[in-house]
Amino acid sequence: MIVKMSEGLGKTCAIFFLTLLFSLPLGMIVALLRMSKNKIVSAVTRFFITVLRGTPLMLQLLAVTYGPYYLFGAGVARNKLIPVVIAFSINYAAYFAEIYRGGIESIPVGQYEAATVLGYTKFQTFMRIILPQVVKRIMPSVTNEIVTLVKDTSMAFTVSYQEMFTIGKQIANSQTSFMPFLVAGVFYYIFNLIVDRVMGRIEKRLDYYK
Amino acid sequence: MKRTLALLLAVMMLATVLVGCGNSSDQQQAAGSEASEASAAERTTFIMGIDPEYPPFSYLGDDGNYTGFDVEICQAVCDYLGWELEVFGVNWDEKLVQLDSFECDCIWSGMTILDSMKEAGYTLSAPYYDNTQVLVVKGDSGFASSADLAGKDVAVQLGTSGEALLNGDLADLAKTFGNVVTCDSFLKCFTELEGGSVDAVFVDMPVAASYVASHEGLNIIDEDLGAEQYGIAFRADDTELCAQVEEAVAALVANGTYAEIASKYPDIVNNLLFLSE
Repeated sequence: MIVKMSEGLGKTCAIFFLTLLFSLPLGMIVALLRMSKNKIVSAVTRFFITVLRGTPLMLQLLAVTYGPYYLFGAGVARNKLIPVVIAFSINYAAYFAEIYRGGIESIPVGQYEAATVLGYTKFQTFMRIILPQVVKRIMPSVTNEIVTLVKDTSMAFTVSYQEMFTIGKQIANSQTSFMPFLVAGVFYYIFNLIVDRVMGRIEKRLDYYK
Repeated sequence: MKRTLALLLAVMMLATVLVGCGNSSDQQQAAGSEASEASAAERTTFIMGIDPEYPPFSYLGDDGNYTGFDVEICQAVCDYLGWELEVFGVNWDEKLVQLDSFECDCIWSGMTILDSMKEAGYTLSAPYYDNTQVLVVKGDSGFASSADLAGKDVAVQLGTSGEALLNGDLADLAKTFGNVVTCDSFLKCFTELEGGSVDAVFVDMPVAASYVASHEGLNIIDEDLGAEQYGIAFRADDTELCAQVEEAVAALVANGTYAEIASKYPDIVNNLLFLSE
């Protein structure tokens, strides 16, 4: 049972790492668009964020996987990892974007003024002065989201992606036993314990001003 | 102003936490005592656990109420015994856990009697339906037997007897398939088939027949892959309840109500055991 479930764990990890890989940078782009001076761009981005945060991730998974089939008669992807990662990445980018925005807007205006006086360009100001501080400030919130992501991977079951929890359910069924759920719980807990340690270490390393 | 707002929010968060804790334990207690009362005292309501997406046995009707062959029979049983029927949609792959936790009094929804249920001690009614498992494929795919599906992907609903068969008696056949994809409803299995992400769906005959009849371009492979029977599952210590329901069903068969209801479901009427006797 544990062997079978660890095979599924590989698929769970695939969702997890690919989602982080795409959503972290995508979130930054969305955050910058959201704070754009162009009112139309900012309004449109804002609308998309409300949609992505305001509807269940499960619904978005179904929409991305089966939507193209129902709407245009296009095929359903054979490799479910693709629609799953797309849905997770877009959803998490929306959350990360708001975290980034919170971080960026928490930097006092005085710093921008000082940077301008010192002759920094806007791009330099952002990259060298603002961003390093933002990263430090948002770390706890980002950790929060990452921990949630680990657990949300189990939702991939709704589109028949055979990740760890799905396999756990299958075993639970064929043996009419509750054990697989316990094992799944332990797997998720250990996974998050590792995430917690890694993020804690990164936070400590970023703590260079204190 | 801002400070007051922040304070208010903080108080609300705290309140939510406290209220949240209080509520959940209250509810649990209430649920526990209710269940034990129901089994001790005279029964007035009967909660039927169904898969809400399993036509023609149980499904959500156009009027927003659950209906289907099993639901109609159960309604007739409850009318006969003077109980009030409550229909409860279970999560099919956790149906037995939900039965054990008193969320419903029986599982009655095109449910295949499995050896594993007997071994786990559940009280099972006499079988009422002869079922076979079949493969559904696209009409233009050219697949004519299970052997043609070697290396192809096959979808099956999690928690169904079809899935149990592929893990058990038909494990050798399952090994010849490329992948066995488990979905959480049979509708998703068929969506996957029509969308081209799997090549076949392994499903109960009546469900296949009613789906193929209403959707073009699908074929049932003419090959019976697993014979099995449907029954009703009760909790281990509910043998008396099981006997009561069985008696009521027998009475309905005798007075013709059973056949009358069955005539509304032409896809399944031929395989009903009580009518073929």
